[in-house]
Amino acid sequence: MSTADGSANTDGGRLLTIRDLSVEIRRGDRIVRPVRGVSLALDRGETLGIVGETGSGKSMTGLAIMGMLPAGGRITAGSIDLDGRELVGLPAARYRAIRGNDVAMVFQDSMTALNPTKRIGEQVAEPVRLHRGASKREARARAEEMLALVGLPRPAERLDDFPHQLSGGMRQRVMIAMALVCEPRLVIADEPTTALDVTVQAEILDLLDDLRSRLGMSMILVTHDMGVIARHADRVGVMYAGRVAETGPTSELFARTRHRYTQALLSSIPSLTQDRGEELFSIPGAPPDLTVVRAGCPFAPRCAGATDRCRAELPPPVTEAGGHVHACWHPAEGPAARTRARLVVPAPAGSEPTGSGPTASEPTGSRPTASELAGSGSTASGPRLRVVDLRREHPAGGAGLFGGRRTVKAVSGVSFEVAAGETFGLVGESGCGKSSLGRMLVALDRPTSGEVIFDGEPVTRMSARALGPRRTELQMMFQDSNASLDPRMRIGAILREPLAIQGVGTRAQRTARARELLRDVGLPASVLERYPHELSGGQRQRVGLARALALDPKVLVADEPVSALDVSIRSQVLNLMRRVQLERGLSSVVISHDLAVVRYLADRVGVMYLGKLVETGTTDEVYGSAAHPYTAGLLAAIPEADPGAPRAPAAARVRGEPPSPVDPPSGCRFRTRCALATALCGQEEPPLTPVTGTHHVACHHPLGREESRS
Amino acid sequence: MTWYVLRRLAVSLLVLLGISAVVFLMLHLVSDSPGRVVLGQRASPEAVADFNREHGFDRPVVAQYVGYLGRLLQGDLGRSYKLNEDVGTLLARNAGRSAMVSLAGLVLALLIAVPLGILQAVRRNSVVDRVATAASYVLYATPSFLLGLLLIAVFSQTIPIFPAEASQSHSPWVVFTDPRAMALPVITLAVTSIAVFAQYQRSAALDQLGQDYIRVARAKGLPERLILTRHLLRNACLPLVMLVGTLVPTLLAGNLIVESLFNYPGLGLLFLNSLQREDYPVLLAYTLIGGVLTVAGNFVADVVVAAADRRIELGA
Repeated sequence: MSTADGSANTDGGRLLTIRDLSVEIRRGDRIVRPVRGVSLALDRGETLGIVGETGSGKSMTGLAIMGMLPAGGRITAGSIDLDGRELVGLPAARYRAIRGNDVAMVFQDSMTALNPTKRIGEQVAEPVRLHRGASKREARARAEEMLALVGLPRPAERLDDFPHQLSGGMRQRVMIAMALVCEPRLVIADEPTTALDVTVQAEILDLLDDLRSRLGMSMILVTHDMGVIARHADRVGVMYAGRVAETGPTSELFARTRHRYTQALLSSIPSLTQDRGEELFSIPGAPPDLTVVRAGCPFAPRCAGATDRCRAELPPPVTEAGGHVHACWHPAEGPAARTRARLVVPAPAGSEPTGSGPTASEPTGSRPTASELAGSGSTASGPRLRVVDLRREHPAGGAGLFGGRRTVKAVSGVSFEVAAGETFGLVGESGCGKSSLGRMLVALDRPTSGEVIFDGEPVTRMSARALGPRRTELQMMFQDSNASLDPRMRIGAILREPLAIQGVGTRAQRTARARELLRDVGLPASVLERYPHELSGGQRQRVGLARALALDPKVLVADEPVSALDVSIRSQVLNLMRRVQLERGLSSVVISHDLAVVRYLADRVGVMYLGKLVETGTTDEVYGSAAHPYTAGLLAAIPEADPGAPRAPAAARVRGEPPSPVDPPSGCRFRTRCALATALCGQEEPPLTPVTGTHHVACHHPLGREESRS
Repeated sequence: MTWYVLRRLAVSLLVLLGISAVVFLMLHLVSDSPGRVVLGQRASPEAVADFNREHGFDRPVVAQYVGYLGRLLQGDLGRSYKLNEDVGTLLARNAGRSAMVSLAGLVLALLIAVPLGILQAVRRNSVVDRVATAASYVLYATPSFLLGLLLIAVFSQTIPIFPAEASQSHSPWVVFTDPRAMALPVITLAVTSIAVFAQYQRSAALDQLGQDYIRVARAKGLPERLILTRHLLRNACLPLVMLVGTLVPTLLAGNLIVESLFNYPGLGLLFLNSLQREDYPVLLAYTLIGGVLTVAGNFVADVVVAAADRRIELGA
């Protein structure tokens, strides 16, 4: 639904008014104030997007409307008016009659969002029986109707399925059916697509939009993704530290951004159209602690335009024409200009790294090519890392007493090369085998067949003993720094450990090296004495990078390096990674499901689908003139953080969900979701064939240059 | 599901075969000349050799084992030379009684522990929860013989409500209809289990309460009572079902102490007496029965859990 239609079928009535809502949660002897004086409004038939980072209070606002604050939480002030009825202070029994009936909630998909031991039909039917007093049979019929409406194929047969029998996208459809089965007037969708792949996300969001207009509901879309907001919300509320920084109609807010935080947030999102030579804008620091009440604008400590007044006085909401409200003492004029800070080729060793700020610019946006950097520091003349027909199969589930084992074909014959100093990006949806591949690259896992050749030596065939010293040169940075840093070790010990294992230096030298590493990743030396849980997510990810760099590796594999981070922190880490890559002449492989992240970091890109590389090329080639329909579909599915951005035609979208890697389709593995598939695609597997010298695609019907996105 | 059950069954049978082999071999090592045991220290070596030959104890171990297996398949567990009775008959007579007291203890323990554990989880860190947790630890750390003796001292000596000795009747029916005589042994058995089960149930329920589907159920507008009975109960009981299955042999071992304490003629008491009499055929059969019960317990637990939670089939 575009924003224009959304307002067209509105009958103008206000459905929900939130005034000065404040929430506090008592946790032990600490009091957290996640929502502080929030005012928002929602009209009938409209979608309100609440956007913000972790801890901004966006989810808590949604839960407060549902009357489902966590234990120890209560509303301390304000009112929530739903169609003339005050929800704050409503007795529990009357609130229950509203929940699931007038107001429903769609949660983020997780494996446990549906009861694992109940059939989905029963779960969808439950609210109908509860609120409408329907008989078992009526409720079941209604559940079937609802499952058909959310696009579950053959719903009558699926009623008796258990949740684990469905894919992630299908589970989320069931969740939506469950929320909408009583045709509520308001549905609150809390990060409804965050756990889903980008192609599935696009389908689920379109479904929600479609149902909202068909059932005449209003929707609150809670998300961290500005792109989702730009594409799907009529009105936006931007939250920061429990307060609404800015709210207004979507197009108005994006076109005439007023609050400094919104502006900074929008600038720090890596986009698919941004000049890759520019450094990403990043907001310094981290969001404030919600247990302390501080005077002034909560964003002031991180704001470039903050003055003494911002630090002393809380800015009041200011209403402008068109219902655009902001709370900023020094409002900005429109969207931020890009930073124009160029990434610089590092000067020879010894010079201080340049963080940000305008510096001597290169003539074009192009980055130093791999060959330029390969000359320095590399001894071998060939590629530093060569992957030859790599395959990995895992046994799938229980094997029968008799009969063959079924296997998950995680990686099925992947070959590529990474030159010295080059960054290779691997993109693909979850389950495409990109992480399995990454683990094999650094010899954390052995392939079923094929080889990884590092500086001319096949690491995949080395004995564990021979591999030991080699590991110094192959390092990995993990996604979840919370899980990959030992919670009982101080950061100093974590950074010294790789050095100690390899027997580098004395204890004092190792500590000195650890301090140096921390400085390189922009952390103060005091962090040495801290434990991982004392650091923020962004700081932990910096430590993860420092640890990977401790042994001065030649190859760095980063698996989803920023996926767990908030937007404002993400750009800090991305800039840091890119700087480190350039400074050290590292060969790196960046693995991510996020196409914009890979575009920002990588020189060359490989697109994976179900264990195979379907397209490789330089970043400009793959993003600029995608030749594989899958790549084009992925690019089309990403919502740009710009309501005016052209929508990809629906036909270009990738439909459905990936088939099981246990039984991949014959021929081209993508053919089951491809609009262009022909009989040939089912019979013959397309090999990787060159489009240009550096651009290869595995497709029988590659897209011509004129068809693809430019 | 059928395929899964058959597979588990086949695996169980293999395990049992292994157990019988190991037990047979161990007893053979302990006493390779049953004639000496049966006839006593005074018997002449010739008489012992004659006895062994007559009963086939002079053959190689493997042959003896195969013969033993063959008889086992026909339901022949051997013969107690000391009591001059079929081991099968002997066990059958005692097993019914043991099973009854174990089962009564188990059911009592579950009836108390499951609701208690869930209550503790729902009211986490409340006074109820803290008291129940503390009591569980104390009871868990109390050896069952001590607990039994204390119960006898209080409820049989000081306040004579229950008899100190369990029912001696050979008819399960009489035992069943005389709850007063069985009260103390059953309570002794149950108390230790309650302590373990309640803590287990509490942590399982806490685990489930944190899952998203509980929040989803709340968002549907379900009252808390229905959330507990419709959504939480089943999921929260799965780990306990698994535990109870694996506890079956422990219950038998518990019987050993409780049965001797209350002089209740069950399997445990039989085992103890046979141990003193060096009655190897009985010991062999008892150990094998223990193995069968363990394997059967695990098998039943697996099947019940798989039936309740359909994800298991894929993962197992």
